[in-house]
Order: sequence, then structure tokens, then C-alpha cells
Amino acid sequence: MDELLLSKVRLGVVAELLSFDWIAFSELARSLDVSNGNLGAHLSKLVEAGYVDEEKSFVNRRPLTRYRLTKRGREAFAEHVSQLQSLLEAAN
Amino acid sequence: MERIDASEARDHIEMINRILAESQQRLCAGGEYFVAWGVGSAYITVLFQLANNKIVSDSALWSVPVVLVLCALFSIYRGRATRAALARSSLVQREFFNVLWLTIGLAFVSNIAVYMIFSGIASAAIWSVAEAIVLLYIGMHGNRRAQIAGVLVVASLIAANFVSRDIAGYVLGAGMLAGYAGFGISELLARE
Repeated sequence: MDELLLSKVRLGVVAELLSFDWIAFSELARSLDVSNGNLGAHLSKLVEAGYVDEEKSFVNRRPLTRYRLTKRGREAFAEHVSQLQSLLEAAN
Repeated sequence: MERIDASEARDHIEMINRILAESQQRLCAGGEYFVAWGVGSAYITVLFQLANNKIVSDSALWSVPVVLVLCALFSIYRGRATRAALARSSLVQREFFNVLWLTIGLAFVSNIAVYMIFSGIASAAIWSVAEAIVLLYIGMHGNRRAQIAGVLVVASLIAANFVSRDIAGYVLGAGMLAGYAGFGISELLARE
């Protein structure tokens, strides 16, 4: 299994990004109901691993940091979910 | 190396399913558009019917392009104001906005530039068809209010086909108000 996606928060981030083009940090924090500090640390790991792209910009003079799932992240997620399902099937 | 047991795996799979289901349903409809275009199209439809029935003079029809332009200007203004939010929207939301703009845009063009073919009640019916497409598209993504509103508009279309020509415009206008504008109001209320 993908160790990076064993964390529930990181797995949640990738699942959130799956059906979005770009999603803002604040939107992710609200959707996943995690603190900014906690989310920031998890996102850094995903960015570092190349699973997620990060873009910093200004919208109406306010900073906007948004994230997008990369092809690598999408493939890792699909593989990880497949392994989770295999584990469940084996347990049943 | 971290390990995970079947119970945690089930928990993770359930979380993924929940997130994916929620993200598909978060279709940002923007109630203001529906109210503006629902009221605008109903006004135009009813006005044409009133003029046709000689209840108002034909000179009142000059307000039609004014209302259409006002609705278009409002949409452009709202579109610019919500540009930042749209940048954060999901793929399905973007797809929805494409459907909305294409459908309403084509209805707009049909009314402005194809009035020789879509004249009188036909031009009003084009609006109803466009509005029904938009509402039922949103309804397909799990919005029950949009499903009901879409069915209302379609019902008004079918009813208008069978009633007297003297009241067909009123029936279509009622469908636009209850269906399209009504859905917009329900979205605004739900947002609050």
C-alpha cells in the first residue's frame, strides 16, 4: 500500500481533489474539517511526493493557494484504493 | 512501515465514497441567475400574449430587448463578481456552467436573430425548452428541487400546446416563474 495515503487526512485530500480542477486551501480545510496547520503539513508531503500541484496567486489582492491532483497522484490513489478493496475482500 | 487493518480500510473506503458523493452534488447553481432569467423570460412571454390579445399596445414590446439586455448585463456582472469562486469550482460545476451558458445563450440568439422562424409563442417555447434543459441537468446531479422545477417547466410546455392560443403565453410564463425563477428562489433560501 501507498504509505503516504495511509493517513486519513492525506487520503481525504486526494479524494477531494479527484473531482476538482483546482481547489483552494480554505475550501479543503472546510471540507475535511481539519486545522490549517494540520492540513498544511499533510499537503506539503503530498506536494513533495509529486501527488499534488500547488499554485500561489492573488485574487482581489488576497492571497490564494490552490491545489490540483497530478497524474501521479491520481494513479497512486487508484492503486491504493484497489489495495484497500483487496484487503477488505480478503477479510470478508 | 505503517500497517492498516480491515476495519481501518473500510473506514477509509467509506470516507472516500462520502467525499466523492458530496463533491458530485455540490453543483453551484447560483440562484440569482435563475430568478433574473425566470422573471425576465416570463415577463416577455406574458407581454407578448397580452399584446397578441390586444390588452396592451404593440409599442410595449419595445421593453423586450431592454429586459433581455438587462438580464444579459446582470449575468455578465454576476459572472465577473463570482469569477474567483468559479476558479475554485469542481469539474462538474464548470460543466454545469457550460451547459447553462450554452443553453441560455442559444435561446437568447434564437429570440434575437431567428425571430422569423421562432416567432410569437414559438420564441417563448424556446425559452421554456432551454430552461427545462438547465433544470433537468442540475436535477440529474441529485438536486431534487431542480428535478421538480424542470418537470414544472416541461408540464407548462405540454399544457401550452393544448390550451387556447389566447392563453398559451400565460401558461408558459407561469411555468417559467414557478419553475425557473422558483428554483432560483429556493436555491437562494437554501444558501442562507
